[in-house]
Amino acid sequence: MSFFEYLALNRAEVLSSTLEHVWLVAVSSGLAIAIGVPAGILLTRRPRLRAPILGFANVVQTIPSLALFGFLIPLPFIGGIGARTAIVALVLYGLLPLIRNTYTGITSVDPAVREAAHGMGMTDAQVLWLVELRLAAPVILAGVRIAVVLGVGIGTIAAAIGGGGLGEFIFRGVAMVNSAVILAGAVPAALLALIADGGLHLLERRLDWRR
Amino acid sequence: MKRSSSAARAKLQRAKRRTSALLPLLPLLPLLASACSRPDAIVVGSKNFTESMLLGEIVAQQLERYQLRVERKLYLGGTFVCHEAIKAGQIDVYVEYTGTAYSAILVLPATTDAAQVWRAVDSTYAARWNLKWAEPLGFNNTFAMLIRRRDAERLGIRTLSQAVRYARTWRPAFGYEFVEREDGYQGLLKAYGLTFAARPAVMDLGLSYKALAEGRADIIAGNSTDGQVAALDLFQLEDDRHYFPPYEAAPVVRRDLFTRFPAARGALAKLGGTITEEKMRQLNYQVDVAHRPAIEVAREFLAGVEK
Repeated sequence: MSFFEYLALNRAEVLSSTLEHVWLVAVSSGLAIAIGVPAGILLTRRPRLRAPILGFANVVQTIPSLALFGFLIPLPFIGGIGARTAIVALVLYGLLPLIRNTYTGITSVDPAVREAAHGMGMTDAQVLWLVELRLAAPVILAGVRIAVVLGVGIGTIAAAIGGGGLGEFIFRGVAMVNSAVILAGAVPAALLALIADGGLHLLERRLDWRR
Repeated sequence: MKRSSSAARAKLQRAKRRTSALLPLLPLLPLLASACSRPDAIVVGSKNFTESMLLGEIVAQQLERYQLRVERKLYLGGTFVCHEAIKAGQIDVYVEYTGTAYSAILVLPATTDAAQVWRAVDSTYAARWNLKWAEPLGFNNTFAMLIRRRDAERLGIRTLSQAVRYARTWRPAFGYEFVEREDGYQGLLKAYGLTFAARPAVMDLGLSYKALAEGRADIIAGNSTDGQVAALDLFQLEDDRHYFPPYEAAPVVRRDLFTRFPAARGALAKLGGTITEEKMRQLNYQVDVAHRPAIEVAREFLAGVEK
């Protein structure tokens, strides 16, 4: 059976898996942003935390997904099997670009601008919110873009722990030695990645305050 | 553009000429190959996974115990590589599974009748390729429905039929292959009238073992000879309705082997029935989980086999 025949016969299933995939990536990216951006800001305020936190995010990247799931299964609340565990893993994998880009974006703001802001009588919070974050926005958003596109790709591993998503077709295809089934997962995942990348690129240009 | 493409063509032609100069030598290649291999040795092959490699090593050492010279070609790739190799005389013996030969090589539809499978592979191999199936080693490497040993003991159950009344409260976790294959999940439900508490969590096979051991799932479908079964203290529910197709392991041998080396026949026959599923699990465990060398594990095993 060819890829297109398979797709035509299973379009409802492919569509629901795609939506599941979007949900997995949206939830995990949202959580990763909620954790990663504040963590990146924290690093600019507490330089001593830089080595341990970036080290942690780096090390997480090197753990193979199956091994990471193996560690997560026994843990209460965040572990077990199913979508929740998959999301925890995806959040962990998404942290590095977010923390790093937030940190780099803020530290590369011209010190003269920061001093001028302080000189105008802004509080620390105002400097952060009105100056630093705005100027760093394109770099931070570039980190978000990397994290989301990566998330679409590695989101396929959710299927290894019963988390659903487009990876199911890939794993099933591998088990059945059927490339049409593998493609039914891989092609929509690739399209999602392109769409997410393009959409965030547009947003990035909108938010570039320096232009 | 034009120049570069004509240059490329000239290069290609030169390359062609160079190879065609060697063409007359081509018929000599088999001679060269046979000069390298020693015809006074039995070549033992195996597929590229632990159990097959271990069985290859056991067969090799058993033949050596009968003063036969052996050349090992273990880890040869999958079923088809081994099959082509033995047909071509590149290897003399390797261990195959009846169900694999039946479905993957003879491409016959799955059946659960062990006797029928044996008859089909035995007669077809002999007629088509002059290959002989030696005495089965004694174990069946098929899907195994596994639960935690302490659950089996607490409930006092041994078989799948006995498990049906408890399965209603069980959370299953299965690998993709088991869910997809026609001799897998759907058929199992029908054969035993099983119902579970939830739809199965479909996941990586290795992780499903972990999920069962950690209490995140209550029943999984593993392989009956996986070392993990012993390592994680799991219990295999007996397939008392013989739903799963048979995958009995037995050495496949070239017919001419026994005329070239008459002692090999007795040596292989002695291995018949010596490896139970429990035994094979322990052997796999020694290599996969305890990380001991296969040569050593095979030697220890053969020390317990009557010569």
